[in-house]
Amino acid sequence: MSNRLETYLEEISHFLSGRVEREEILSEIRSHILEKAAAEHGEADDAALDKVIAAYGQPRQVADKYLDDRPIIAPAYRRYLFRYTTLLFAFHALLTVFAVLFKKDFILFPFLFMPRLGVIEALMYLPTAFLADLGVVTLVLYFITQSGKNVRLPWPKLAVDLDEVKPPTKNFFLSRIGTAVGAVVMLAITDFALYLFARHHTIFFVNLDFANPRPLFTAAAGRRLSMIVIAMFAASTMTLLVKLFTRSRWVDAVSNVISLALIGLLLRQPFDNLFAVTVPEKLLPKIRFGLKFLLLFIAVIVTVDLVQNLVVLGRKKLAKSA
Amino acid sequence: MTDPDIGSMETEMNRGFLQILVLALLEKDMYGYSMVKHIEGLGYKVEENTLYPLLRRLEKNGWITGKWDLGEDRPRKFYAITADGRAMKAGLLEVWDNQNRILNEIKKENVHVQ
Repeated sequence: MSNRLETYLEEISHFLSGRVEREEILSEIRSHILEKAAAEHGEADDAALDKVIAAYGQPRQVADKYLDDRPIIAPAYRRYLFRYTTLLFAFHALLTVFAVLFKKDFILFPFLFMPRLGVIEALMYLPTAFLADLGVVTLVLYFITQSGKNVRLPWPKLAVDLDEVKPPTKNFFLSRIGTAVGAVVMLAITDFALYLFARHHTIFFVNLDFANPRPLFTAAAGRRLSMIVIAMFAASTMTLLVKLFTRSRWVDAVSNVISLALIGLLLRQPFDNLFAVTVPEKLLPKIRFGLKFLLLFIAVIVTVDLVQNLVVLGRKKLAKSA
Repeated sequence: MTDPDIGSMETEMNRGFLQILVLALLEKDMYGYSMVKHIEGLGYKVEENTLYPLLRRLEKNGWITGKWDLGEDRPRKFYAITADGRAMKAGLLEVWDNQNRILNEIKKENVHVQ
């Protein structure tokens, strides 16, 4: 028996894995190829088999035609993949915020285990949680699809569905003007912040007298915090500049990730000996809680925006592959 | 005006046609390669890698049966139509005749319009 033919059948067999009648299918293809080679080329030698095999098609395409058309997730349920993932992730994100703020564990065995998290751990945890949520929803929709039953999935009528977020349809030129103005403003803010930093090693002051400024934070803390905030300004400026040339959601997604990383850095800064001005002792814990809450709130908003961007990118990819 | 590319539309149309064609052909026992050649002789081309999966589906539905013949120099799987297959073929041909009639009617109407 020709090695070429057996290799070809072996490849088809690989793509047919799981089919009970695999051997039967391969026997029939083998029979056909040998028959055709002998009938049309005189004998079933290697040269003849090569031609017949080439005409029969690529192994994966051949195997595909034997496979059922039933998709992993039925088209009717595809939109629920992102709807439910978004819902589940929102719940997950909320619990994460609680776990950080109130330093609590959340256990709902076997569905949920959220240990007490630090801020950085929480920010690292969120993308993992998103993927896990996506996996769980995919699995449920897969089982519903495979059951073949007409299951009506519930979904509340919300004003805006996250999976229906569409790219802006504004006039191309007008939207560019807005972005350009934003980029110029952000560039000016970044430059001004850099100027202040170069001159005073901080950008946080308690007065507006730049000839004789009084810094808000102690020297080391002021320098660290200023550098992070300037990095945020610079990242926003870069994003706006790049968006002058492309509307790709990837730009927004990357910008979101950078923002989250910088917010994480801000949250990690030590609070003790932060202020260069006198702050009443009683107020310090409240200020600390307020700042932490504000930064976490911003982090959640950025995360939701990141999820929106990833959802739109995911849907585009699905639409392309459909 | 250039000729329209009917490739993908033709593939869609062929799906139904091939089923009727195979059911009609198998009034006489045939194996895969002989069917390909026979159809080619009638001026139509069927992809080999499309025919065999179709035969498998028809067999699974009980409209044809397949039987290996190991007597010749190489094994061949012969197919034949079943009673259920004949009933299915009659139904499909009726649908096809009706569709043809409708299209011909419309073609006639269009001639009058022009």
